[in-house]
Amino acid sequence: MNDTSAAEYRIAHLREHLASGDYAEMGVRIELRGSSVLIAGTVSSAGCRDEILRMAKEELAGLPLREDLIVVSATAPDHPEELA
Amino acid sequence: MIRIAAVGDIHLGLDSAGVLRPAFETIRDSADVLLLAGDLTRHGTAGEARVVAQEVAGLGVPVVAVLGNHDYHSDQQAEVTAVLGEAGVTVLEGQGTVLDIGGVRVGVAGTKGFGGGFAGRSGGDFGEPEMKEFIRYTRRCAEGLRRSLDELKARGCSVRIALTHFAPVPDTLAGEPPEIFPFLGSYLLAEAMDESGADLAVHGHAHLGTEHGMTSGGVRVRNVAQPVIDRAFAVYHLAVHAAVGTAADSVPVAAE
Repeated sequence: MNDTSAAEYRIAHLREHLASGDYAEMGVRIELRGSSVLIAGTVSSAGCRDEILRMAKEELAGLPLREDLIVVSATAPDHPEELA
Repeated sequence: MIRIAAVGDIHLGLDSAGVLRPAFETIRDSADVLLLAGDLTRHGTAGEARVVAQEVAGLGVPVVAVLGNHDYHSDQQAEVTAVLGEAGVTVLEGQGTVLDIGGVRVGVAGTKGFGGGFAGRSGGDFGEPEMKEFIRYTRRCAEGLRRSLDELKARGCSVRIALTHFAPVPDTLAGEPPEIFPFLGSYLLAEAMDESGADLAVHGHAHLGTEHGMTSGGVRVRNVAQPVIDRAFAVYHLAVHAAVGTAADSVPVAAE
């Protein structure tokens, strides 16, 4: 098994663990980008973001992480969409 | 004009109480109805459903929901439905409900829906029992949606909305990995909408997708997954074109 395939399996297992974890998180992108791992997407809370990053650092130890997780806005919209 | 607020995939857990409530309390100023497009909880427990119920109870507008796959995860979908119902939420699965909004009959037909993929790139009712049941389940969901839309038409609704969790079109999945599209929706849902007719389709499920799409029959589709709209809810103003459905026999929030 080479390093890339090993990394892909570790990422797949991380995704499974995130889905079965406290936040049941299945909506973020986790991908190999060159020699690093991109974790990106919009999550429901700061706690969810922290948990994803904690698990990623633990399960993907040794792989550089590039993180772009955003906490979703819980504010009301400032305008409607007009559907004619 | 009907004002429709909608959001899906709010994924509330036991630690989420009050997160959306401040925004939801403004809904009566901006919308006539709130649609919830599934994945209201994280694990589909009755306890999480109680958090959702507290967030949407007593908003001053009707609240109509479908469940999502997360809401089924703990096999407590019946309890989740009951908890939401006690808070005044109309939870639809293969059913419709008629709302009286300013004298206009507005029908909402709802189903969670399921996967299978889109025309030309879809799974088939063939092979192993598991595969056949996968597609047959989606087909039952779509048939329930079609039947509900037909019934709403027969009941004189001048506005009909199709509410699902899974996507009816691939348009609103743009941004998701194409390889997982068959797990995100099915063309059978869009086919039901196009054959029966609908003024708007609202769904969730695809967090990495985009908001805007349309069925091949011209029904506007909106992916209102909260990570997509990046707000507590979206509001759509829908023009009322038909003259029917404004009769005095309209019933207020006839939940079924």
